[in-house]
Amino acid sequence: MTGAGGGTSTAATPSGGGAAAASRRDQLTLAALTRSRRLTGPAAGAVVGVVLILLLLGNGFTSTLVLDMLVYAIAAMSLDFLGGYAGLISLGQAGFLGVGAYGVAIAEVHAYSPWAAVGIGLGVVLALGLILGIVAVRVKGISFVIITLAMGQVLWGLAYQWVGLSEGDNGIPLSTLPSIGPIDLNNGLTLRMTVLAVFVVIALLLTTITRSPFGLSLRGVRSNEARLAALGYRTGLHRYLAWVIAVFCTGVAGVLYVFVNQLISPTTMNFSANGLFVLMVVLGGLGSIWGPALGAVVIVLFQQELSLYVSRWQTLMGLTLIAVVLFSPGGFWGLVRAIGRRRDAVIARLQRGGTP
Amino acid sequence: MPQFLAQTLNGLTLAGIIFLVSSGFTLVFGVMRVTNLSHGAVYLLGGYIGYSVIGVTHNFFYGLAAAAIAMAVFGLLLERTLITWLGRSEMSELLATLGLIYVIDDVALAIWGGSPLTINLPGILGRSSTLPVDGIVYPNGRIFILGVSIVVALGLYYLLRRTRVGAIIRAGVDDREMVSALGINVRRVFSLVFMLGALLAGFAGVLGGTVLGLYTGADSDILLFALAVVIVGGLGSYEGAILGSIVIGLVDTYGTAYFPAVAYSILFIPVIGVLLVRPQGLLGRPTT
Repeated sequence: MTGAGGGTSTAATPSGGGAAAASRRDQLTLAALTRSRRLTGPAAGAVVGVVLILLLLGNGFTSTLVLDMLVYAIAAMSLDFLGGYAGLISLGQAGFLGVGAYGVAIAEVHAYSPWAAVGIGLGVVLALGLILGIVAVRVKGISFVIITLAMGQVLWGLAYQWVGLSEGDNGIPLSTLPSIGPIDLNNGLTLRMTVLAVFVVIALLLTTITRSPFGLSLRGVRSNEARLAALGYRTGLHRYLAWVIAVFCTGVAGVLYVFVNQLISPTTMNFSANGLFVLMVVLGGLGSIWGPALGAVVIVLFQQELSLYVSRWQTLMGLTLIAVVLFSPGGFWGLVRAIGRRRDAVIARLQRGGTP
Repeated sequence: MPQFLAQTLNGLTLAGIIFLVSSGFTLVFGVMRVTNLSHGAVYLLGGYIGYSVIGVTHNFFYGLAAAAIAMAVFGLLLERTLITWLGRSEMSELLATLGLIYVIDDVALAIWGGSPLTINLPGILGRSSTLPVDGIVYPNGRIFILGVSIVVALGLYYLLRRTRVGAIIRAGVDDREMVSALGINVRRVFSLVFMLGALLAGFAGVLGGTVLGLYTGADSDILLFALAVVIVGGLGSYEGAILGSIVIGLVDTYGTAYFPAVAYSILFIPVIGVLLVRPQGLLGRPTT
């Protein structure tokens, strides 16, 4: 930038011709950057939304893949809400997805109507979240991980061993999906758009909660619990509520899972599956809600696309997780944020009247 | 009654194997504050290596030794590379070792395949004998495993309570900074403890391979046992690992025998009970 040196000293009172040009250029840059800060989010959202709708209009392999991504993304975002904002990383998330799915499938086996089955599935997952939360949020950090892992394994064990209830290894197929008026989920396109809608609703719900006073105090509890407690916040209750919200949203993902796959079996909730959700969150970026959705996209691609070409894709996935933990603790979203921060820094400097 | 007695013996055998795995897990956590989620995978890898060495040498004890040594070396490498690189961040270590599980499992799957394998015990250990009580016929191998784990437990107890190294390790559990300040090379203690944990896990893998079998998923099964043990006994407590192993081994065996539909979940009863009454575990100390 020519004349930049002069601009620095005279920016406050532009008098010379070169300095005025520089200052004008700065102002244009500032305007462009501010506009980009305001518009990037909505624009990216709109583009992704249009792409998703276009992909889901088809009836082939791609739309199935996208559907899987959306369902897993809901669970990953819920886990991120718990892990990234409340500081509670759960290794039992697949278990609650399984509870939601099994709840619907088992209720239908017992001749309940599809809508009643959905109610039962969500009710069971909510009740379980409310009860297990009392035990789970008594501890934090490593102990919480261990306890949720144990819970997840127990839920898997029930699905695997309690053959009378869960049909064991074979799993339970789901034949009829609910319908209301013209909206019939048995129709493929309607189901796909419904999954997309639920995904958007849950994503907006979670981002809204994280920006609410509750979400802010939740972050406070994570970073300095003693201080929040001293300020009069009921920190245990905060963690408990975050847990219940995360478990319930994961249960919703479970209901969608069984709708999409029309089958639920113990494999969906085994140890490896629990680890995958953590992988999605860490890969995408802990504490960003949108990052883990991106993580879910990548992991589903690993699982369903890369596995076709690379037989040792699990090794690759494990190494990817190790690499992210070692080199980029913020995950993908950390990179996005780094770009955003640089833009903010430039804007701040320009507003102070300096040169970029 | 004879059936109950046989189940109790089965439970204690299982407790022995679980103890070998969980004692290493809890010591590593106690001294280094590292939660090594890949501990179960190390157990399974040790079992597989033992299986192959036995296949080549036709000697069970060579397999046992090879698995223990191989895993000790693996543990040392792991501690010197990944764990050191991560630089004492509890959650990163947990996540990285979670990633390692996928790698180890996948490599094991590539080498040993997906079908379950069983290690056969040699000679007299492979037979059964009649016990003096109630005329129960019981496999010698299980008695052998029980005996070996008791010997290891006593040996570890002696190491921890009666030797200088043990004193340093116990001091490390209590106050790492102080031990370091006293001029003791904490790095070396860390490597030693991590190696010891991996050695025990590999050793347990071969013993476990004889009664539990080696299969994809055996690692997460044994990891769950170890985690249940440390919750019940207290994370970082050696005596807690012994007590917890006995509780979990017996509960799981009785559960499988008498309530097969919910066997896996019955494990959760002692875990929840302890969490509600004493969150730090029966013999654990409250975290500060």
